[in-house]
Amino acid sequence: MKIEGTHELRAARERVWQSLVDPSVLQRCIPGCERLEQTGENSYSTILRAGVGSIKGVFQGNVRLEDLRPPAHYRLVVDGKGQPGFLKGAGELELEEMGEGLTVIKYAGDVQVGGTIASVGQRMIQGAAKMMASQFFTALEAEAQTQAGEPPPQHGFFRTALRWLSGLLRRIMRGSK
Amino acid sequence: MAQKYVGQRVKRTEDPRLIKGLGHYVDDIRLPDTLHVSFLRSMYAHARISGVDVSEALKAPGVVAVYTGRDAAEKIGPVPCAAALPDLKVPDHRVLATDRVYFVGHPIAAVVATDRYAARDAVDLITVDYEELPVVVDAEAAALEGSPVIHEHFGDNIAYRLTAGEGDIEAALASADRRLKQRIINQRLAPVAMEPRGVLARYLPGEEELTVWSSTQIPHLLRTQLALMIGMPENKLRVITPEVGGGFGSKLNVYAEEALLGWIAMQLGRPVKWIETRRENMQATIHGRGQVGEIKIGCREDGTLTGLRYNVVADLGAYHQLLTPAIPTLTGLMLSGCYKIPAIQINVTGVFTNKVATDAYRGAGRPEATYVVERALDLVAAELGLDVVEVRRRNFPKPDEFPFKTATGLFYDTGDYEAALDKALANSDYTKLREEQKRAREEGRLVGIGVSTYVEICALGPSQAMPAGGWESATVRIEPTGKVTILTGASPHGQGQETSFAQIAADELGVRIGDVTVIHGDTAIVQYGIGTFGSRATAVGGTAVYIAIERLKEKAHKIAAHILGADASSLAFSEGRYSLTGAQVAAGAEVPEPVVPVAQAPAAALPEPQTEGKRSLTLQDIALAAHLAKELPPDMEPGLSATYFFEPKNFTFPFGTHIAVVEIERDTGEIKFQRYVAVDDCGRVINPMLVDGQIHGGIVQALGQALYEEVVYDEQGQLVTGTLMDYAVPRAKMIPWLELDRTETPTPVNPLGVKGVGEAGTIGATPAIVAAVVDALAPFGVRHLDMPIKPETVWRIVSQQTSGGGR
Repeated sequence: MKIEGTHELRAARERVWQSLVDPSVLQRCIPGCERLEQTGENSYSTILRAGVGSIKGVFQGNVRLEDLRPPAHYRLVVDGKGQPGFLKGAGELELEEMGEGLTVIKYAGDVQVGGTIASVGQRMIQGAAKMMASQFFTALEAEAQTQAGEPPPQHGFFRTALRWLSGLLRRIMRGSK
Repeated sequence: MAQKYVGQRVKRTEDPRLIKGLGHYVDDIRLPDTLHVSFLRSMYAHARISGVDVSEALKAPGVVAVYTGRDAAEKIGPVPCAAALPDLKVPDHRVLATDRVYFVGHPIAAVVATDRYAARDAVDLITVDYEELPVVVDAEAAALEGSPVIHEHFGDNIAYRLTAGEGDIEAALASADRRLKQRIINQRLAPVAMEPRGVLARYLPGEEELTVWSSTQIPHLLRTQLALMIGMPENKLRVITPEVGGGFGSKLNVYAEEALLGWIAMQLGRPVKWIETRRENMQATIHGRGQVGEIKIGCREDGTLTGLRYNVVADLGAYHQLLTPAIPTLTGLMLSGCYKIPAIQINVTGVFTNKVATDAYRGAGRPEATYVVERALDLVAAELGLDVVEVRRRNFPKPDEFPFKTATGLFYDTGDYEAALDKALANSDYTKLREEQKRAREEGRLVGIGVSTYVEICALGPSQAMPAGGWESATVRIEPTGKVTILTGASPHGQGQETSFAQIAADELGVRIGDVTVIHGDTAIVQYGIGTFGSRATAVGGTAVYIAIERLKEKAHKIAAHILGADASSLAFSEGRYSLTGAQVAAGAEVPEPVVPVAQAPAAALPEPQTEGKRSLTLQDIALAAHLAKELPPDMEPGLSATYFFEPKNFTFPFGTHIAVVEIERDTGEIKFQRYVAVDDCGRVINPMLVDGQIHGGIVQALGQALYEEVVYDEQGQLVTGTLMDYAVPRAKMIPWLELDRTETPTPVNPLGVKGVGEAGTIGATPAIVAAVVDALAPFGVRHLDMPIKPETVWRIVSQQTSGGGR
């Protein structure tokens, strides 16, 4: 199953990149991520609480970053297993500087799911993945906007939703000009 | 015999209890101390299992035991396949997976706990080490060299190859004026019985008796197979089939869970229950259809067929269930349809795939055949510019050609295909429909008319042609109080035989229908039987009831003659009473008949038969006399019951015509029914309401195949259509008003003249509906569309051609 999209972040590309390779930032930003521990160079083990609709559960898995070309590109390889099934996939992230303090992330990946999430949730997975990506990048934007020395931002669901909404409003305002 | 009940729309005696919620399905049977079972099922379509860790699950609250393949596989015999085909490869199908899993939903472990929820939660605590293996999903690709092999020791995925048919097919195709070919797909379908499967098992160690309640269509065959699988004496095993909420062939099987539950009950000494969830039902209950093939048709310029060849790959799934490999052979038998086709050949390649097994689903191989033949006739009509009705007429055998032998080796006993066709044409006003269609097309509307004329094999069947016997049994008893008890070996599960068999008995015995009780589905009560499937229950099981009654009446007649002191030939039976006829009546007329109502007899004792001075006796009198046994003819055995096992000499061949009229919404591709007209001939009709109900249900399931339903596995073998949100069974609003009618050509195969009707709708309707949509799109050059025909497909055709045509 193909998952792709773009997301606009009001932060400098360098800052976004640093956030994207910082396990503690990733752990805070990935929705439902309960643990992200480095197991080797650019590889991590993770525990993720995620689901689609009524099919929820805990996934244990591995995340690997490959083909790192800072600050423009990396490839993300994920595989995880849990009660609701399994998922594995790989995707490319491209960071483009779109002017002062504005970065566009393009992502494109191929994901396989199995088990209950495949038989129940497959038709909803793309929607759910988009939503998770949106949550993730919105949180990441807040992280990247944080100046050095400041405490990391809070990310709960409502905060992220508010940030996402204000970002959306900004884009609409800009589009209507 | 006066026909007071037979032929009448008698309301189902089953319904009041079902409507009021008083019926008992497996899950309604509650035994004290029952434990509940939940299964861990594979989430991979093909994988090696290197380890199963159940230690956490065993610690979970409420969990009593956990069984894995290693615990059970050696103790329980393989899941049986009854289909015997030459050189058939039969994989060793254990009740739980041991070192490999072969499809998503393949059971790996069974958790037993004090309640259903604890069992289900503990399933999540089991860890399985899977090592993924290459997956075989596409049936055609499975047959190719170089495909990953599912059962490695077989060397390839081909379970069997079979060629059948008569006539010189090469010559027939070569000498034809025209040759056509078409790829034909019968997609996988899920039977989706409203009640999923369910099993309750109880072992009584003192009596050494195992009772298995199961939602099945075949209690006796199941008992035999379970006895073999579990290794216990068959006479210590009892199978009870309570109410069954639909089967459609999916419960014409012996499943791993049935044997496993029985075995677990024996291990734990407590009752165990498993009720299948809908998700499990979609994954692990058999699917139907699953044929991908190509037809080659040879025809003359006048539209008559010279030959038909069907090369087909049958998607069997990973294992054989009870009849899996046999289903495509039924397709082969039925390939002549209701036409004279001099040469027919079917080449079946049955392949293993990483999916749940296919098996019998309403029609079981015959809807596939009818679809093939009816599409062929429509393609010929389109090729030659002939009306679809005319092409059919030209290929029909005439009524005086019966019994008619087909190139598939069958003898059609009776049939009058033109009569059913003509009636359907009249009922639908076909000529006018075509005129209206012409006008509609001129207005730019897309209206289509589809016609299907079908024949089917029913009343399965002669034992020679069946894997496990094709007869059916009945016992008829008249109890001392005159009540009539029927035990039928057919195990009806929604068809209404409690009503229709009672109708037969009430008429033949001259009693009220309320005095007849029909008992079925308990192997400890009912003599061995075969079951309900293949449109057989009334034609074979009903005939057994009828003949058992005749036998019983022979005995009653002798008793009556003895008691009345008359010669048997001077007695006649009418309205439930044996009476003296002719001179003896005249002589006896002077004796007043004593009337002693049963109610006046002492309550504590059986009433004495009041036979003194009578010139007639009721069956009730005779039944009492037979049980008291004081006034029987010398050497006659007491009691009044008869058992008969009826062996049919042939199948029966019901037929009919279905006509569908649809209109397509150009903007959305939506298919809307304008009319649906069906004329079916199922021989003599016992209860028209039950026949209508069967036709209704059949058409609805056919409509599902034609327009909505499709089991989809993704390229990794994951079941995408795993719920009723994703698998589209037709909803009430999708079903048109069905205009039903009948012709009645009784069959000589059984004395009732009954042919069977359970599957007619699914067989006749699918091609009619597809033909209607294809006909609506004929202006776009469409001659064939694959099922399910979705609005998207239709919309693409309409919108592409419309924009391309510069509209």
